[in-house]
Amino acid sequence: MKQGSSVARSLAIAAVALAVFALADAAMHALSAQNPFGAPRRAAEPQVGGIIGWLLAKQGEFYREISASIRVAKTDGYAVWTLLGVSFAYGIFHAAGPGHGKAVISSYLVANRETARRGIALSFASALMQSLVAVVIVGIFAWLLNATAKTMCGAERVIEIVSYALIAAFGARLVWSKGGGFFRALQTHVPEPAIAGVPLRRHDHGHHHRDHHHDHGHDHHHDQGHGHQHGHAHAHVHDEHCGHSHGPKPSELAGPGGWRRGLSAIVTVGIRPCSGAILVLVFALAQGLFWAGIAATFVMGLGTAITVATIAILAVSARGVAQRLSAGRDGGGTLFMRGIEFAAAGLVLLFGLGLLFGYLAAERVTCL
Amino acid sequence: MRRMSRNWLGLLAAGAVMLGTAAAQAHPHVWITARSEVIYAPDGTITGVRHAWTFDDMFSTYALQGIEAKTKGAYTREELAPLAQTNVESLKEYAYFTFAKADGKKQKFTEPVDYFLEYNNTELTLHFTLPAKTPFKTRQLSLEVFDPAFFIDFKYADKDPAKLVGAPADCKLQFQRPNDGTASAQQLGEQNFLSGESSNFGAMFANKIVVECP
Repeated sequence: MKQGSSVARSLAIAAVALAVFALADAAMHALSAQNPFGAPRRAAEPQVGGIIGWLLAKQGEFYREISASIRVAKTDGYAVWTLLGVSFAYGIFHAAGPGHGKAVISSYLVANRETARRGIALSFASALMQSLVAVVIVGIFAWLLNATAKTMCGAERVIEIVSYALIAAFGARLVWSKGGGFFRALQTHVPEPAIAGVPLRRHDHGHHHRDHHHDHGHDHHHDQGHGHQHGHAHAHVHDEHCGHSHGPKPSELAGPGGWRRGLSAIVTVGIRPCSGAILVLVFALAQGLFWAGIAATFVMGLGTAITVATIAILAVSARGVAQRLSAGRDGGGTLFMRGIEFAAAGLVLLFGLGLLFGYLAAERVTCL
Repeated sequence: MRRMSRNWLGLLAAGAVMLGTAAAQAHPHVWITARSEVIYAPDGTITGVRHAWTFDDMFSTYALQGIEAKTKGAYTREELAPLAQTNVESLKEYAYFTFAKADGKKQKFTEPVDYFLEYNNTELTLHFTLPAKTPFKTRQLSLEVFDPAFFIDFKYADKDPAKLVGAPADCKLQFQRPNDGTASAQQLGEQNFLSGESSNFGAMFANKIVVECP
């Protein structure tokens, strides 16, 4: 039995590694871009070329086609359809890069045990908001105020800082609510060897059930129905730590009641517009086709949403796999899942702080 | 218990990889077609670098937002002077995307001189000269132009990407594009996420000008 659990755990670890990579904006960048631990790994991979090279080349192509089709649309109305098609493709490709909320949304979904369906909804809502913000910025600064690029870019930067602060705050809140569940699981895991005599099935069931309630509920009377010795032990732990857990039940989150919490994810991601969209909008405005730019921006957002949603679904499924593999194990399974949730929450916080303090400078808007 | 702690180590490592990944990737929003000249004094010291950067038409239009021209669509050098001023001032924050080494030693530049913008065929070209902080003589000059954050994609012109102005006759110029393999392979070896250079993704796309004077 020990052997079996160790194999399953290894599998679970593999699944988590997968989940983490899905969370990462795009794992392939890790392969081709740089090895985080400094050792050169040139031998096996092509340099700049490969997938990134191709993605970047495609992006460049689409981008040029966007400006070209806007120019043509001035005289030939049909070019607008080309513009929309290219914008859609650009959105899909473009979102593989940073700043489109893949990391935040995926981590949020994993931390909060959300469904894939909700992941899709969040992706689309936040992409829609990103598009709206871009249109509002250009509408106000360029169209209404005729401000210079310097002013507009300055505004973009301010929004960017605000969005990083929001990500950090969002992460801090997730860490706060997930930390309780994790440390409680950690504490319940420690006395595990002492109760090894309990039949596995029953034990597992009770454990799982209890944990569920301890995590989120504030009364432990339900547990008494199970009436064996663990109920007591866990109730005790629960009493010590319930003050730390304010997260709603998963069922609440998945339902319509959870929208308020989903909203914070949408705003956190959606407040920061895509620089590409702003460039396209200003360009379209200068050509006297602002409406075409707005249409292109929303179609681009649709493409972005598809990419983000795909990654979100990957993250949710990877989490599901990890859960299935670790379920049925002794207390470690629960601990493991709480650990993943906690880690995902921590990632959002680290991500936000990293952006805020300029460590991840790669995502900054460059004003020239 | 020991097995568990290995799990957490694994998780931590995975987390680190993810942060590294997030940091490492970026994508350009501005495309620049560049030409550069290395300027020499009569005695063979390098006094500075002169750049001519042409922005893609989308960015050029963006940059021109809010700037009025007397004749519509034809901006004069004077009308563009304030924008050129803004450009060179902003570039300071990014070290002008110009990284020079003389025999392996980093060289610094002072604020640009002789800068102006040209508007031609819907595109803006920024001309500016970067004076070397201390003019230097060197056997091997390596000059790289790239944006570490890769917000800007620098591509050198197909024809005459780099030139030497007033260089001693025996100096040899060599130009490496990022996609010819040599430059990027070197860069990858030098990169290290943990060293704090987290955003050096763009170094893979560095253009390298090498001048050797025996």
